[in-house]
Amino acid sequence: MKVKIKKWTGVAVWKWTANDDSCGICRMPFEACCPDCRIPGDDCPLVWGQCSHPFHIHCIMKWLSSQQMAAAQLCPMCRQGWRFR
Amino acid sequence: MSNIAVQRIKREFKEVAKSEEGAKCEIRVELVNDSFTELRGEIAGPPDTPYEGGKYHLEIKVPETYPFNPPKVRFITKIWHPNISSVTGAICLDILKDQWAAAMTLRTVLLSIQALLSSAEPDDPQDAVVARQYKENYDVFLKTARFWCSCYAGAPKQASNGFEEKIKWLTDMGANEQVAIRTLSSSSWNIEKATEELFS
Repeated sequence: MKVKIKKWTGVAVWKWTANDDSCGICRMPFEACCPDCRIPGDDCPLVWGQCSHPFHIHCIMKWLSSQQMAAAQLCPMCRQGWRFR
Repeated sequence: MSNIAVQRIKREFKEVAKSEEGAKCEIRVELVNDSFTELRGEIAGPPDTPYEGGKYHLEIKVPETYPFNPPKVRFITKIWHPNISSVTGAICLDILKDQWAAAMTLRTVLLSIQALLSSAEPDDPQDAVVARQYKENYDVFLKTARFWCSCYAGAPKQASNGFEEKIKWLTDMGANEQVAIRTLSSSSWNIEKATEELFS
């Protein structure tokens, strides 16, 4: 049997490789974006702390800026000092 | 309220209902208005404490900046506990103040408050009168806390310690019942001291 492909459409799926399902700050799945964004993906990327906890970058930046009064900026999950990995 | 606050509260609302503790009716939340800014919480008094059998209602106010700032929580149901004001219901708990973290949720807050009922911190009091009684006269503290639990939180009545008679003595003299209970509790049920405080 001979098959002639006349047309094909490629489909790809993408997924963040995070060690968690959802952002601990906004509670949205990582495959979705933070509540202030509309399009998931590179426009609303994830970042990791040295402690290995991932968050939407927009969420962790808001958390860190709300922590300015505190002596140290801490990870919202484990309370270790927050350092970007 | 901001987008993130509303979305999170909606999720957390479901999380409480679906949680193991929610299924056992140990914690509950309900809406007060449509805007998710104010909620009503309920926790069960933990077993092996003077609060066992009681249901405690909490006022939960969600700030515009949630979850970057903690919710404001206070007891509506009156309670006798060193870290909770017996007058206003204000709670002294670090995670509701400087130890708040954005990863905490309504569920973990309610469980933390429930845990506070099991492990008081009399050295960091919200109610100094209760804390002093806790440290100096633990037995009277237990009886008083249990009495408040049956009076205000709906727990079954315990064996009488003669508290009712003392309250009646003061209300017969014209004192308001709640004031009588508070004054007697604060004076460790010393009727002479309470009478003096109320009428002199």
